[in-house]
Amino acid sequence: MNKLKEKAKELLSSGAVQVVVGYEEGTGGKIRPAFVSRPEDADKLLYNADCHHNLALYLYKHETKRIGKMAVVAPPFVLRSILILTTEFQLEEDSLVVLGVTPEEELIEFANFKEIETWVNQHPIGMKEKDREMLNRLNAMSRDERWQFWQNEFSKCIKCFACRGTCPMCSCFRCTVDYNAPQWISVGSHQLGNFDWHLMRAMHLAGRCSVCGQCGEACPMDIPVHLLSFQINEDIFKMFGSRAGLTLKKESLLSTWKSNDVENFIR
Amino acid sequence: MARIGVFVCHCGENISATVDCDRVAENASGLPGVVHSVDYKYMCSDPGQTLIKEAIKEHKLTGVVVAACSPRMHEPTFRKACAEAGLNPFLCEMANVREHCSWVHEKTESTTQKAKDVVRLLVEKVKRNEALQPIKVPVTKKAVVIGGGVAGIQASLDIANGGHQVLLVEREPSIGGHMSQLSETFPTLDCSQCILTPRMVEVAQHPNITLWSYSEVIGLDGFIGNFTVKIRKKAKSIDEHLCTGCGLCTQKCPVRKIPSEFEQGLGTRPAIYTPFPQAVPNKPVIDKLNCTYYLKGRCKLCERVCPTQAIRFDQPDEIVEVQAGAIVLATGYDIKRTDFFPEYGYGKYKDVIDGLQFERLASASGPTGGMIRRPSDGQIPKNIVFVACAGSRDPAKGIEYCSKICCMYTAKHAMLYKHKVHDGTPYVFYMDIRAAGKDYDEFTRRAIEVDRTKYIRGRVSRIYEKEGKLVVVGADTLLGGQKVEIEADMVVLATASVANPGSEELAQIVHVSYDRYKFFAEAHPKLKPVETNTAGIFLAGACQAPKDIPESVSAASGAAAKVLGLFANDELTREPLVAVVNRMAPPLFSTCIGCFLCQPVCPYNAIEREEFKTRDGKLLKAVARINPGLCQGCGTCVALCRSKSIDLYGYSNKQIYTEVSALLDEALV
Repeated sequence: MNKLKEKAKELLSSGAVQVVVGYEEGTGGKIRPAFVSRPEDADKLLYNADCHHNLALYLYKHETKRIGKMAVVAPPFVLRSILILTTEFQLEEDSLVVLGVTPEEELIEFANFKEIETWVNQHPIGMKEKDREMLNRLNAMSRDERWQFWQNEFSKCIKCFACRGTCPMCSCFRCTVDYNAPQWISVGSHQLGNFDWHLMRAMHLAGRCSVCGQCGEACPMDIPVHLLSFQINEDIFKMFGSRAGLTLKKESLLSTWKSNDVENFIR
Repeated sequence: MARIGVFVCHCGENISATVDCDRVAENASGLPGVVHSVDYKYMCSDPGQTLIKEAIKEHKLTGVVVAACSPRMHEPTFRKACAEAGLNPFLCEMANVREHCSWVHEKTESTTQKAKDVVRLLVEKVKRNEALQPIKVPVTKKAVVIGGGVAGIQASLDIANGGHQVLLVEREPSIGGHMSQLSETFPTLDCSQCILTPRMVEVAQHPNITLWSYSEVIGLDGFIGNFTVKIRKKAKSIDEHLCTGCGLCTQKCPVRKIPSEFEQGLGTRPAIYTPFPQAVPNKPVIDKLNCTYYLKGRCKLCERVCPTQAIRFDQPDEIVEVQAGAIVLATGYDIKRTDFFPEYGYGKYKDVIDGLQFERLASASGPTGGMIRRPSDGQIPKNIVFVACAGSRDPAKGIEYCSKICCMYTAKHAMLYKHKVHDGTPYVFYMDIRAAGKDYDEFTRRAIEVDRTKYIRGRVSRIYEKEGKLVVVGADTLLGGQKVEIEADMVVLATASVANPGSEELAQIVHVSYDRYKFFAEAHPKLKPVETNTAGIFLAGACQAPKDIPESVSAASGAAAKVLGLFANDELTREPLVAVVNRMAPPLFSTCIGCFLCQPVCPYNAIEREEFKTRDGKLLKAVARINPGLCQGCGTCVALCRSKSIDLYGYSNKQIYTEVSALLDEALV
């Protein structure tokens, strides 16, 4: 990890970037996102398996963009998120230095986004074992049982919108749920609208999810909301043979078609 | 405060037979905001419309709901009536209580209840309607016709004779299409070239027509009245202004053994060539793939013999953009070749040929000078078998449709053969004889009765070679499926007509839909047969489905009439029911974040990028913008937009939400 710190120092002191977005130790030994803008602070940067925040979230926000050019510490799921956000015109290559970190905690430097594309295609990331098990369990259920499962889970939702807040793909500054003329989805902290909210969010992430699992991680009520997106991601892979975040081509999985698609009904 | 008028129509008994119209009207009068509610026998009649007009003035209505038939039927009528009474036409809505209610239900209480519900929804909707203004777009009065077969020629001539500029784009070196290859045409047996070539010359000489042969459309932008067509003019390797078409180069060219496309491979052509003597334009092109100079870097014989120094070996392809107001697709069809049929020898028997090859054999200008000689040894076949429906109407071959022209041309082929080989015997294997058309059935009867063609109703299962003969094995279903074997000297397969290669690609370039056989799709199979789903693009001829010459010409004239109708206006008026991306004050500009995921889903290419910049050119934000001239109001982008930044005029979020709520509120009661 010294390499990461050195690189961050070098970038900051040379003025190549004005801020490095990474991870640091927070209160109670937990990991939290860090924004380092002075070379001497770079020593607090770290990376380990507990670093789960999807830092891509900060790369297009006005608050961070205002500081200046950014460098970002990017584990594989952040790399994927960067690619998705690039295809959606939310990131520009020349405004960002990407400090990739492998699961083996090694630093990889990318000269350009094309190299990221190559790397993520060579290094597939799987689901965590516990998520995989959970999905298998859900898929083994009958439709009614599954419905009941999610009814129960969503009944816990307090609509704090932490899932939305932590997801880099929720890049709209006005969400559907904030749209109030008319108010399609009830936003109060009661059960009305809970299902609508989570299904709407899952649909909006279909074909765009980098499978970081942050939404489930952020949920204060422990709703495994990330499994919805994970399952859709699996379905899309089965149907279209592709996953989000592996390409720089500006074609979203679910809003484009190709003449050699298997499903020719769409023509 | 809304002042809504409700007008319930009986439609004679169409609605009133199952719906209690006066109770629907009475119920509506109690709805919040409704100040006037009546029922009437025929709302669309003059007195009915007057009823609406007077009510608008008398009750100072701010919205009108007409509960009657489908808006497809009479929405324009009632909106016009409202406009005449001074109410913005888009403040008038129709509640469909006929197709959606009275016609599909029995006379019961719940039918009347449903009519009440439908009216209630529309009352709630119309309260949220906005006064909209029609969109006006200018029209470029120039048409691009793609494809120079008989359909493209006809469409071009009709539009040009109507006084407008036409650019005719043809992929091949000459216009004429398949019709120029035909020997004679059914049902009159007049010579195809004799009737076509004068038209081709007319195209070349018409002051309103520009002809670009050897050119392809490679891109299309814009919308009805305002297209930008990108065209690649392939290098012909000659200077057309200098070339006089003397033909010396084509005579001297040492490469002579190239199978001629025009002769369907039965004849040859040189590397510098015109496809046929009557070609328009009658100036040669160099086939770069076969020219010795392009292959080996030396020869240039044509350059030496050219009396006007017109040869240009270094000529590049030229890409040109053309403005046009309308486009006619007339790219025609192709046929399956004999190699498509494993059961008929995969194309390995020289004397099994397709229909177009027979046309060339029978043509006076063809490779045999009009003598029917078989390709293998030049002998005159004494027994000839014609196989109709080769591939067509055959789900196993993936071609389920009828190719339509084969019954007629097979009868013609048999007759032409008989007229030239008096002692020969023509056989025709057929599934059905489809000869619907003016003088068509008489024609096929003539082939059978006068020219003694032996028609056998059944299909051919196999063709194989035996001792210099082709044994055709088929069944005669009129003899109870008895096996028939004919030893033939030559076999002509009436192979299926299929979409032209490249039609799918072109459809995608110009954004028109196409069917599963890759023929272009019309907007409505009966009522809009020459329109496509893309406004301003029309269809002519066999690019839409197999068509014979009269049909192709009619369709072409139909398409031309549509183009002329379009060009009769200086501006187009469009319904303002289009999607719009919201705008707000800087620094937000819009709730759109510019992800542009809406762009690929738009079937009409209507979504553009709008950039907001500072005075010194720094980009502040890029957001989506919908071109109202192109948008057809389908709403796909509205549904896709995650931030709900797009709304559809006339069917806004608010309106739809209110309608749904109005329905649910009552259901919950």
